[in-house]
Amino acid sequence: MIRVLFFGPVADRVQMRETQIEFACGMTLHDVIAHLGAQHPGAFSIVSFIAVNQNQVHNKQMLLHDNDEIAFMAKFSGG
Amino acid sequence: MSEPVRIQEADFSQDEEIKALKASSKRMGGIATFLGCARDFSEGREVSEISFDAYGPMALAEMNRLRSEAIAKFILMDARIVHRIGTVQGGDNIVFIAAGAEHRAPALEACRWMIDELKQRVPIWKKEITPQGESWVTPHP
Repeated sequence: MIRVLFFGPVADRVQMRETQIEFACGMTLHDVIAHLGAQHPGAFSIVSFIAVNQNQVHNKQMLLHDNDEIAFMAKFSGG
Repeated sequence: MSEPVRIQEADFSQDEEIKALKASSKRMGGIATFLGCARDFSEGREVSEISFDAYGPMALAEMNRLRSEAIAKFILMDARIVHRIGTVQGGDNIVFIAAGAEHRAPALEACRWMIDELKQRVPIWKKEITPQGESWVTPHP
Protein backbone atom coordinates (compact mmCIF):
# COMPACT_ATOMS: atom_id res chain seq x y z
CA MET A 1 0.00 0.00 0.00
CA ILE A 2 0.99 3.60 -0.57
CA ARG A 3 0.21 5.91 2.35
CA VAL A 4 -0.84 9.39 1.25
CA LEU A 5 -0.87 12.32 3.68
CA PHE A 6 -2.47 15.74 3.36
CA PHE A 7 -1.78 18.77 5.52
CA GLY A 8 -3.13 22.25 6.13
CA PRO A 9 -4.96 23.83 3.19
CA VAL A 10 -4.61 20.68 1.06
CA ALA A 11 -6.22 18.53 3.77
CA ASP A 12 -9.13 20.98 3.90
CA ARG A 13 -9.64 20.74 0.14
CA VAL A 14 -9.59 16.94 -0.03
CA GLN A 15 -11.46 16.75 3.29
CA MET A 16 -9.19 14.11 4.74
CA ARG A 17 -5.73 13.88 6.26
CA GLU A 18 -4.76 10.47 5.05
CA THR A 19 -5.67 7.80 2.53
CA GLN A 20 -4.14 4.62 1.12
CA ILE A 21 -3.69 3.50 -2.46
CA GLU A 22 -3.06 -0.05 -3.60
CA PHE A 23 0.54 -0.37 -4.76
CA ALA A 24 1.18 -1.65 -8.26
CA CYS A 25 4.55 -2.51 -9.76
CA GLY A 26 5.80 0.36 -11.95
CA MET A 27 3.57 2.92 -10.24
CA THR A 28 4.90 6.50 -10.41
CA LEU A 29 4.21 9.61 -8.41
CA HIS A 30 2.39 10.96 -11.46
CA ASP A 31 0.00 7.97 -11.33
CA VAL A 32 -0.91 8.79 -7.74
CA ILE A 33 -1.45 12.47 -8.56
CA ALA A 34 -3.64 11.57 -11.55
CA HIS A 35 -5.66 9.09 -9.47
CA LEU A 36 -6.27 11.50 -6.59
CA GLY A 37 -6.67 14.53 -8.87
CA ALA A 38 -9.57 12.80 -10.61
CA GLN A 39 -11.25 12.21 -7.23
CA HIS A 40 -10.63 15.74 -5.96
CA PRO A 41 -10.69 18.15 -8.92
CA GLY A 42 -8.98 21.44 -8.11
CA ALA A 43 -7.53 20.26 -4.83
CA PHE A 44 -4.05 19.83 -6.20
CA SER A 45 -3.76 23.33 -7.68
CA ILE A 46 -2.46 24.59 -4.32
CA VAL A 47 0.11 21.79 -3.91
CA SER A 48 3.55 23.42 -3.97
CA PHE A 49 5.59 20.64 -2.39
CA ILE A 50 5.51 16.87 -2.60
CA ALA A 51 7.49 14.62 -0.29
CA VAL A 52 8.13 10.91 -0.61
CA ASN A 53 9.23 9.30 2.63
CA GLN A 54 9.74 12.80 4.09
CA ASN A 55 12.09 13.92 1.31
CA GLN A 56 10.96 16.64 -1.06
CA VAL A 57 10.77 15.40 -4.66
CA HIS A 58 10.37 17.18 -7.98
CA ASN A 59 10.38 14.30 -10.46
CA LYS A 60 6.79 13.16 -10.93
CA GLN A 61 7.98 10.18 -12.97
CA MET A 62 9.67 8.85 -9.85
CA LEU A 63 8.99 5.14 -9.34
CA LEU A 64 7.25 4.33 -6.09
CA HIS A 65 7.78 1.35 -3.83
CA ASP A 66 5.37 -0.58 -1.66
CA ASN A 67 4.85 1.15 1.73
CA ASP A 68 6.05 4.54 0.47
CA GLU A 69 4.62 7.59 2.23
CA ILE A 70 3.66 10.55 0.05
CA ALA A 71 2.75 13.98 1.39
CA PHE A 72 1.02 16.72 -0.60
CA MET A 73 1.66 20.17 0.81
CA ALA A 74 0.74 23.80 0.13
CA LYS A 75 3.26 26.62 0.62
CA PHE A 76 4.48 26.66 4.18
CA SER A 77 3.41 29.41 6.58
CA GLY A 78 5.01 28.54 9.90
CA GLY A 79 7.03 30.89 12.03
CA MET B 1 18.29 19.41 29.35
CA SER B 2 15.71 19.79 26.55
CA GLU B 3 16.55 19.07 22.93
CA PRO B 4 17.86 22.11 21.00
CA VAL B 5 15.26 21.61 18.25
CA ARG B 6 11.67 20.95 19.23
CA ILE B 7 8.07 21.12 18.05
CA GLN B 8 5.66 21.27 20.94
CA GLU B 9 2.19 22.40 21.99
CA ALA B 10 3.35 23.85 25.28
CA ASP B 11 4.75 27.34 25.65
CA PHE B 12 8.50 27.72 26.06
CA SER B 13 10.68 29.84 28.31
CA GLN B 14 13.11 32.14 26.53
CA ASP B 15 15.21 32.26 29.70
CA GLU B 16 15.49 28.47 29.80
CA GLU B 17 16.41 28.30 26.11
CA ILE B 18 19.10 30.97 26.47
CA LYS B 19 20.40 29.28 29.61
CA ALA B 20 20.69 25.99 27.71
CA LEU B 21 22.40 27.74 24.80
CA LYS B 22 24.93 29.44 27.09
CA ALA B 23 25.66 26.15 28.83
CA SER B 24 27.05 24.73 25.58
CA SER B 25 30.13 27.00 25.52
CA LYS B 26 31.82 29.76 27.51
CA ARG B 27 33.41 31.11 24.32
CA MET B 28 30.04 32.57 23.32
CA GLY B 29 30.34 36.35 23.14
CA GLY B 30 27.11 37.12 21.31
CA ILE B 31 23.63 35.61 21.43
CA ALA B 32 20.91 36.76 19.05
CA THR B 33 17.30 35.66 19.44
CA PHE B 34 14.09 35.86 17.45
CA LEU B 35 10.67 35.48 19.04
CA GLY B 36 7.66 35.10 16.76
CA CYS B 37 4.31 35.90 18.39
CA ALA B 38 0.65 35.51 17.45
CA ARG B 39 -1.02 38.73 16.32
CA ASP B 40 -4.65 39.43 17.19
CA PHE B 41 -5.16 41.47 14.02
CA SER B 42 -4.32 40.51 10.45
CA GLU B 43 -5.39 41.62 6.98
CA GLY B 44 -7.84 44.09 8.51
CA ARG B 45 -9.57 41.48 10.68
CA GLU B 46 -9.51 40.61 14.35
CA VAL B 47 -7.91 37.22 14.93
CA SER B 48 -9.19 35.28 17.92
CA GLU B 49 -6.92 32.22 17.58
CA ILE B 50 -4.25 30.75 15.36
CA SER B 51 -4.05 27.01 14.85
CA PHE B 52 -1.10 25.16 13.39
CA ASP B 53 -0.80 22.04 11.31
CA ALA B 54 2.56 20.35 10.73
CA TYR B 55 4.05 17.34 9.02
CA GLY B 56 5.71 16.57 12.33
CA PRO B 57 8.55 14.17 11.47
CA MET B 58 9.56 16.06 8.31
CA ALA B 59 9.29 19.44 10.03
CA LEU B 60 11.50 18.31 12.91
CA ALA B 61 14.06 16.78 10.54
CA GLU B 62 14.16 19.98 8.47
CA MET B 63 14.54 22.15 11.58
CA ASN B 64 17.45 19.96 12.70
CA ARG B 65 19.05 20.34 9.26
CA LEU B 66 18.53 24.09 9.47
CA ARG B 67 20.27 24.25 12.84
CA SER B 68 23.20 22.17 11.61
CA GLU B 69 23.53 24.27 8.46
CA ALA B 70 23.43 27.50 10.47
CA ILE B 71 26.10 26.24 12.88
CA ALA B 72 28.37 25.35 9.95
CA LYS B 73 27.61 28.42 7.81
CA PHE B 74 27.98 31.06 10.53
CA ILE B 75 30.50 29.22 12.76
CA LEU B 76 28.09 29.22 15.70
CA MET B 77 28.88 27.74 19.07
CA ASP B 78 25.28 26.53 19.29
CA ALA B 79 21.73 27.25 18.12
CA ARG B 80 18.22 26.39 19.25
CA ILE B 81 14.86 26.36 17.43
CA VAL B 82 11.50 25.78 19.13
CA HIS B 83 8.17 25.97 17.28
CA ARG B 84 4.74 25.59 18.84
CA ILE B 85 1.83 23.78 17.23
CA GLY B 86 -1.79 23.36 18.33
CA THR B 87 -3.82 26.50 19.00
CA VAL B 88 -2.51 29.81 20.33
CA GLN B 89 -4.13 33.14 21.23
CA GLY B 90 -3.12 36.68 20.32
CA GLY B 91 0.12 37.61 22.07
CA ASP B 92 1.20 34.01 22.64
CA ASN B 93 4.63 32.79 21.67
CA ILE B 94 4.93 30.82 18.42
CA VAL B 95 8.56 30.34 17.56
CA PHE B 96 11.89 30.96 19.27
CA ILE B 97 15.27 30.94 17.61
CA ALA B 98 18.59 31.57 19.31
CA ALA B 99 22.06 31.69 17.82
CA GLY B 100 25.23 31.89 19.86
CA ALA B 101 28.60 32.81 18.35
CA GLU B 102 31.94 34.22 19.45
CA HIS B 103 30.86 37.66 18.24
CA ARG B 104 27.59 39.48 17.60
CA ALA B 105 27.67 39.73 13.80
CA PRO B 106 27.46 36.00 12.99
CA ALA B 107 24.90 35.48 15.77
CA LEU B 108 22.63 38.20 14.35
CA GLU B 109 23.06 37.03 10.75
CA ALA B 110 22.43 33.40 11.69
CA CYS B 111 19.29 34.24 13.63
CA ARG B 112 17.82 36.16 10.67
CA TRP B 113 18.86 33.39 8.27
CA MET B 114 17.26 30.64 10.36
CA ILE B 115 13.84 32.28 10.66
CA ASP B 116 13.81 33.15 6.95
CA GLU B 117 14.78 29.58 6.01
CA LEU B 118 12.30 28.08 8.48
CA LYS B 119 9.45 29.94 6.83
CA GLN B 120 10.42 28.59 3.41
CA ARG B 121 11.53 25.07 4.25
CA VAL B 122 9.66 23.72 7.27
CA PRO B 123 6.27 22.06 6.62
CA ILE B 124 4.13 23.96 9.10
CA TRP B 125 0.94 25.83 8.24
CA LYS B 126 -1.00 28.40 10.25
CA LYS B 127 -4.69 29.10 10.12
CA GLU B 128 -6.23 32.28 11.48
CA ILE B 129 -9.57 31.93 13.24
CA THR B 130 -11.59 35.14 13.09
CA PRO B 131 -15.19 36.06 13.97
CA GLN B 132 -15.83 36.00 10.19
CA GLY B 133 -14.42 32.50 9.71
CA GLU B 134 -11.17 30.64 9.26
CA SER B 135 -8.46 31.07 6.66
CA TRP B 136 -5.03 29.60 6.03
CA VAL B 137 -2.28 32.17 6.12
CA THR B 138 -0.59 33.05 2.86
CA PRO B 139 3.19 32.96 3.29
CA HIS B 140 4.77 36.34 3.99
CA PRO B 141 8.12 37.27 2.45
